[in-house]
Parts: sequence; structure tokens; C-alpha cells
Amino acid sequence: MADPTVALTFLAPEIIVALTGALVLVIDLIWIRSTDAPNTPRPWLAYLSIAGLGLAAGAVIGLAGVQTTLFEGIVILDPLSTFFKLLFLAIGMIVLLISVDPLPGFSKWSAEFFALIVWCTLGNMLLASAAELFTIFLCLQLTSLPLIVLIGYAKRDPLSSEASLKYLLLVLVSTAVLLYGMTLVYGALGTSTISEIGKVLAEQRLTPVLALGLVLLLTGFGFKITAVPFQYWVPDVYEGAPSPVTAFLSVGSKFAGFALALRIIVTGLDIPLNWHLIFGVMAALSMTLGNLGALRQTNIKRMLAYSGIAQAGYLLVGLAALSEMGIASLLFYTAAYGFANLLAFTAVIVFANATGSYEISDYAGLARRAPLASFALTVALLSLGGLPLLAGFMAKFYVFLFAAQAGLIWLVAVGVVNSVIALYYYLRVIWQLYVPEGSLDPISVAPRAGLAMSVCAVGVFAIGVFPEPVLRASQMAASALFGG
Amino acid sequence: MNTLPVLSIVALTPLAAAILIGAFGRGTQLPRVLALVAATICLAGSAWVWATYDRAAGGVQFVESVRWIPSLGISYIVGVDGISVPMLALMALVMFTGVLVSWNVDERPRLFFALLLLLVTGVFGVFVSVDAFLLFFFYEMAVVPMYLLIAIWGSTHKDYAAMKLTLFLFAGSALITIALALVYWQVGASTFDLRIWAGANFPPGFQRWVFLLMFVGFGTLVPIWPLHTWSPDGHVAAPTAVSMMHAGVLLKIGAYGVLRLGMTLFPEGLRDWALLIAIIGAINVVYGALCAMNQTDLKYVIGYSSVSHMGYVLLGFAMIDKFGLQGAVFQMFAHGIMTALFFALIGYVYEKSHTRQIADISGLMSRTPLVAAAFVIASAASMGLPSTSGFVAELLVYVGIIGRSPLLAAIAFVGVVVTAAYLIRMLGKILLGEPSQAVERIVDPSPVRLAPMGILAITIMTVGIFPATMYQTINAGIEPLLTKLMGG
Repeated sequence: MADPTVALTFLAPEIIVALTGALVLVIDLIWIRSTDAPNTPRPWLAYLSIAGLGLAAGAVIGLAGVQTTLFEGIVILDPLSTFFKLLFLAIGMIVLLISVDPLPGFSKWSAEFFALIVWCTLGNMLLASAAELFTIFLCLQLTSLPLIVLIGYAKRDPLSSEASLKYLLLVLVSTAVLLYGMTLVYGALGTSTISEIGKVLAEQRLTPVLALGLVLLLTGFGFKITAVPFQYWVPDVYEGAPSPVTAFLSVGSKFAGFALALRIIVTGLDIPLNWHLIFGVMAALSMTLGNLGALRQTNIKRMLAYSGIAQAGYLLVGLAALSEMGIASLLFYTAAYGFANLLAFTAVIVFANATGSYEISDYAGLARRAPLASFALTVALLSLGGLPLLAGFMAKFYVFLFAAQAGLIWLVAVGVVNSVIALYYYLRVIWQLYVPEGSLDPISVAPRAGLAMSVCAVGVFAIGVFPEPVLRASQMAASALFGG
Repeated sequence: MNTLPVLSIVALTPLAAAILIGAFGRGTQLPRVLALVAATICLAGSAWVWATYDRAAGGVQFVESVRWIPSLGISYIVGVDGISVPMLALMALVMFTGVLVSWNVDERPRLFFALLLLLVTGVFGVFVSVDAFLLFFFYEMAVVPMYLLIAIWGSTHKDYAAMKLTLFLFAGSALITIALALVYWQVGASTFDLRIWAGANFPPGFQRWVFLLMFVGFGTLVPIWPLHTWSPDGHVAAPTAVSMMHAGVLLKIGAYGVLRLGMTLFPEGLRDWALLIAIIGAINVVYGALCAMNQTDLKYVIGYSSVSHMGYVLLGFAMIDKFGLQGAVFQMFAHGIMTALFFALIGYVYEKSHTRQIADISGLMSRTPLVAAAFVIASAASMGLPSTSGFVAELLVYVGIIGRSPLLAAIAFVGVVVTAAYLIRMLGKILLGEPSQAVERIVDPSPVRLAPMGILAITIMTVGIFPATMYQTINAGIEPLLTKLMGG
């Protein structure tokens, strides 16, 4: 066990991120005091935040080889936490890049926006390392509370406020459920660190109280990963939230739920239940209901919300395999999905800035007005649909391959049928972009958005054509989970 | 054998050209010139492969192998055998002529040629892949370009046809995904190398069901009855070059997939389902021909005739003997060239007269004898008349069928009769008589438009009159398969 000062150096990335958020707020205060025009946009604050996250990413990479537990086992550093921390930092940086000017008229409060995203990222990172129930609880609050504010950030937009209230209620309920589950588990087992829970559970019979505790625990995560039957909040919140926040929610928040669920389920829940079936059914329902829901949507944000539910289903297919490679394929999928979804949202934001609309029918003929953004959205949707040269193809193939290894052929069948349904509604958007004739006024794309799209597109193509490095990293992360 | 990676050049040049066009292809001139350059390179490469493939030695040649995704044992392995060599030649010919046919596409040429070349890369890739994952990767690459090509530049219910086609193909590939995953774990050697897969022994029950998955998955593309309905709609809606590629080559990917990933891996499975395949083949032949008989739109006639002709390929497969297989592969090539020629001709007539209705067209012979002659050659090949490639193909298939089942031969022969009937009727109507009003505007095509027709017509005749080289090539390709089918 390392002594506390050494332990703190292992938390350097988190400390850097925490300080970045604070620094942004303080600098902004000083700046506002010294200026007469507090409403001028301050993009440099976003760049400062990005730089902070970049520095933290450097620190994560520097600590990549470290495998240890800190503070009596409540924080764990291993390849899995490294994988997720890098993913969360990348997501945070891209989201900051696309929210440099978050909302017209809200420039005065942009520092708060950036700081909240930074802290939310911090919460996600800590979740990836948390290995004790009550630490997990605190970290979850750290990610959820900023999100409530961020979702309601466009306070003059009733949809945004409504979404925020819905999310607030959801957080309250899921927190209550989770906390109840945690206390039951703690009461039944007398320990709250995950590895200890695993050990005790292996020797103990499943009592009703314990079972209830575990179910409630999993329910709490279900909301976060937006899997059926915990998905009801998703479409309204995704639609109402400011778009960069939706982008953040759709990947960062969801993956944080997975990071947590993985550690608890694989390390902690060594009990004789048919997890294959439980997660398999959740996966099948998420894919099917998500895709069927998406079919009817006319609003792109709602469509992406339903598609996100379906994608959570594909991720759960990897979990249902419950093998080292199954988890590796899940991790690979998160990276592939993350880039593709952020790419889609960036393009959606570009279009919304130009046309003021999120209706898919208003996308008619945009390919001629904004060829690059249209190409970006097309690439993103086709990657989500699982077509080759793009990350999604590889990701889906791996997930299905390892589900087949675990004997879950029926689940693979459900998955591939769903891919066909999904392609239909993705193609409908692409059809709107490319086929109808429309106006020819070019849409200008801000360089920042262009940069964000390029980064994501490069990620989507790179993972799609040369998946080996990411696959390697996923395997390392997964094997740490099973080895430890 | 040689150090030049000729297969990679053939398969990836179109991709490189597509990227170049996407990045720099402003105006109308640059995209089509780049496309033509790519097509020429592919044609030259395929010709080189055709000329230097060692038919006596047989087997997979021109192999290139690079590790791609080692954690899963996936490699980029390309190579050709006697079955893929003719397919490569077919694709190169159709690509080259397709680019020429599209020379005057002036609506968004940059996007058009980029997508066309992307599609071509997918098809070439399928024919040269020796790794099952790589094959599937290329196969899926062809799906989306096809959708956009039809949806943007098509005609007649194009949105419906494009979506239907894409979803059918994707549904087929969904089955293939399941099958690939099953085979991968069954082989258990952490590889997708088809040469290793072909050497594995699969239990009979496994063979039966996985073969069925592969057959239906790839068969959707053949297209097998009753999953064929996307195909005539797709042919009709697509712009000319895409119809050519689509009917000419894409359907062959289906048959090729059944051959490579179905029959080669699961001979037992083939035997289990041979009767079903034969019945479906016979239905394809007769039903397709009868449907073609009833059509009033030229493109629909050829669209349904494709359903009918691909039935011979299925019949050939189902016979599990030398002649049947030879005939099937020969037919894949022959039908590809013939149907590409048909679509090139119809495309030309439609462009000039703005109609494809048989009732509105007559007297082509007196307006444009060259086009009329090409129509006759294509129809002769379609009817299987001697001195055309279609004759050799159908003869081989019939020899195969008669050896097995005279009844089936008699049923399939109905198809020949009906084919002759609808084609002769169509030819008589559109070629002879006084030129109709629509035909008044048609003149002999310009050299750029004439060249593709000439190239395809000459290929039909050459292969028909001198079939020996093609025959030897195909023979070299099916020899190992035959040994396996007979030995098992």
C-alpha cells in the first residue's frame, strides 16, 4: 500500500482535471471584473479547458503501466481504468471543442458551461477507477449534478428546462434506488469494496435481501447506460438538452455507466445466475425497441436518442458474452461508437446553426450546401449502421463474433436483424442529404467544428481500417478485469 | 510468380481513384478522366492475370498476404483461382465499358464517379479475397454506393427500388455474418483464411444449416426466387452504368459467394439441399422467363431475363457434377457480358428517345443498324444460340442436367423456349418496321458510346467461338471443388 503522498501522484490526472475546472471559473471571474463587456464570447476559456484535459490525458498515458489500488482499495488503477479515462478525456475535449460558443446569448455564462463539462468528465474518470460502493455513489453524484445544470442550460427554452427537470427526477430516483441497493448489499455482506464483495459472495448463498440489493444496484446503472427497461427518459432529455450536452450525454455518461457496471459485474458478482440470459434479453430488447422507436422519428436528435438506446443494446451483447473477449469487444465498441456519435452530433450542430432546425425533413439537399458536413454525417450514420471502412463495421463484427463464441446465436440473430432495421432509418437521413434538390447557398462551417469533425472522422476511419491498436488496448483492459 | 502486386492494384486502384475524385474532382472532365484511367489500369491488370494465370498448375495464384488484424487472425490475403480469373475479367470489362457509357453524366459527376469506383472496389475485392473476413468486408462496401447511385441518378420508382435493394442485400449479409461467426469458432484455428477453412472437416449437421445460411445470404443477391423481387426493380431504376454493373457483375457476387463460402466449405450441405436448389433454379428459369414475357418496359424484360438466366447457374450448382459446375461458372461470365450489353443498348435508346416502352419503339434497324446489330448479338447470347458465349454456358448446364434428371431438363427447357419467344418478339417489335416517332431522334452512336457496345459484343462472339481458354480456366478452378464434392 502506497503512502498517501505517493497515492496522490497516481491521481494526478484527476487532480489536473479538477484544477482545470476551478481555474477556468477563477480566470473568468477576474476577466469579468476587469472588462466592460462581459457578454463577449470567450473561446479561449474553452481552449484552456481543452488544454487542461489534454494535460490530464498525458498524465494518464504516463501512468499507463501502473496497476495498483489506493486508499484501502477504494480506488483502482489498471488498464481498464486507463482505457476509459482516455476515452472520457477525448470525449470531453471534443465536446468542449463543439461547444466553444454553446448558445447564442449565453456567452456571459460560458465559463460555467466549460467548467461543468470538465467536472463531469472528472466524475466519469473517477467512476472508471472507483472500486468501492460509496465512492461509486459520490462519483456518480459528481457526474450527475453538473449534467442537471448543463441540460437546463438553455433556460429560456422550455424544452431544455423540461429536460433538466426530467433528468433531475431521474437522478433522484435512480440515486435512491442505488443507495438502497448499496445499503442492502453492505448490510448483507459487511463489506463495500468490490473485490471483497466478490470474495464473500463466492462463499455465500444468495439470500432474498442480498438479491434485492443486487437487483437495485443494477437498476441504478441501467438508467445510466440507457438500456431497456430504463430508457424512458432518453428521447425527451436528449431532445431538450443543448446539442453539445446531448452529445456528451450520449457517449460520456453512457460509457461511465458501462465502466462501472463492468467492474461490479465481473469482479463482484460471482453468483450462479444466468447472466448471459439476463443481459442477453436486455440487449435484445434495447436493440429492438430502440430501433423500432427510431424508425418513426422526424427529429434528428430524437432519432439519435433512440439509436443510442439500440447502440446500448449492441454494447450489452458484448457484456452478455461475459467472456474476456466479449468485454474486449464491448470496450472496442465504445471507442468506435464514441467517435461516430460525436461526429454525428457535430454535423447536426453545424446544420442546426445554419438552418435552425433539427427536423430531418429540413435536411433536404444539404449535401450541396455543406458537402463536408454532409459527408461527415453520412460517415457517422453509416458507421453506426455498421458498414465497412468505418469503425462501426469492425465493432459490430467483434461483438457478434464473441457473442457467437459464448453460444448466444439467438442474440447474434436479433442483432443482425436489427442492423437491417437501423440501416433503413440511417439511409433515410442520408437520402435527405443527397437526393432532393434544394437551395445552393453554401453553409459555412466554423473551423472549430471542422476540426472536431475531422478528428472524429479520422478516428472512425482509422478504427475501421486499422483496428488492431484499439483492439489490443481493449483486450489488455479486459484481461486486467478478469486477471484481477 | 511475380513481384508486382497485380491483384491489389486491380482491387484498390478504384478506391484510390474514388478518394482522388472525392478530394479534387471539380468540374465534369476530371472525374471521368480519372475514372477512365482507373478502369484502364484495372482492365490491363485483369488482362495480365488472364494471360499469365497458369491453368495447368491451377489452384490459387498471385497470392499476396499481409497481416491485418493479428489478434483475430485476420489477414489481407488476395489471390485468384480459375473461378475468380473470369470474374475479374468480367468486372474489368463491365467497369471499363460502364465508365465509357457514363461519359456524359453531367449531374454531379464528381459524386457519381466516386461512388461508382467505390462500388467497383468492393466487387473486385470480393473476387480476389482469399480471407473470408476480407471478402465480407469488400462485399459490404458495395452496398451503400449502390444505394446512392440508384437514389440520385436513377429513374422509375428509384427511391423505393434503391431502399428495397439495399435492405435485401443487407439482410442477406446479416445471415452471412452469423454464418461467418459460426464457422470461425467451428474451425477454431483463429483464422479466416479460406484455404484453411476449406481443409477443415465440419460435422454434417453443422454443414447442413450453415450452408443454408450462406446459400440464402448470398442467394438473395443471385437472386433466388422468392427473394428476387428487389432485382428487376433495382435494374430498372438504376442509371445505365449501374444497371450494367448490377446485373452484369453484382448478381455474380451472389453466385460466387455461394460457390466459395457455401459449396466449397460444405459439400455435405450442398448435397442436403441440392434438390431444393435445383427446384429454385428451375423456378427461376421458368418464372423469370414468363415474367419477362409480360413486360412492356425494355429494362424490365432484361431484369426478369436475369432472374431466369441466373436460374441456370443454380441448376448447374445443384447438379454436383463437372458439366453442371462448368456451365454454371461459364454462365456467370456469359450472362454478365450479355446483360451489360443489353443495358448499355437500352440506356442509349432511352437517352435518345426518352422511352423504354416496347410499344413506343420500332424501326431501330433503319435508324441505327449498329445498335440493332448489337441488340441481335445480345439476344442471340441470351437465347443461347451457337457462336455466342451463352450457347457454351447453357449447353454445359444442360449436359449436366440431362445426366441427372431428364424431367428437370424438360422443365428448364421450357425456359429456353419462352426466352426465345420474348426476345424474338421484342427484337421484331423494336428493330423492324417503320421508325416510330420516339426513334426518329436516334442516330448511330458516337465513338465513345459505340466502343462499349463493340467491346461487349466482340467478347460475346469471341468467347462463343473460341471457348477453349475460358473452359480451361474454369476447369482449373472447379477441379479441387469437384474432387471434394465427389470424394466426400
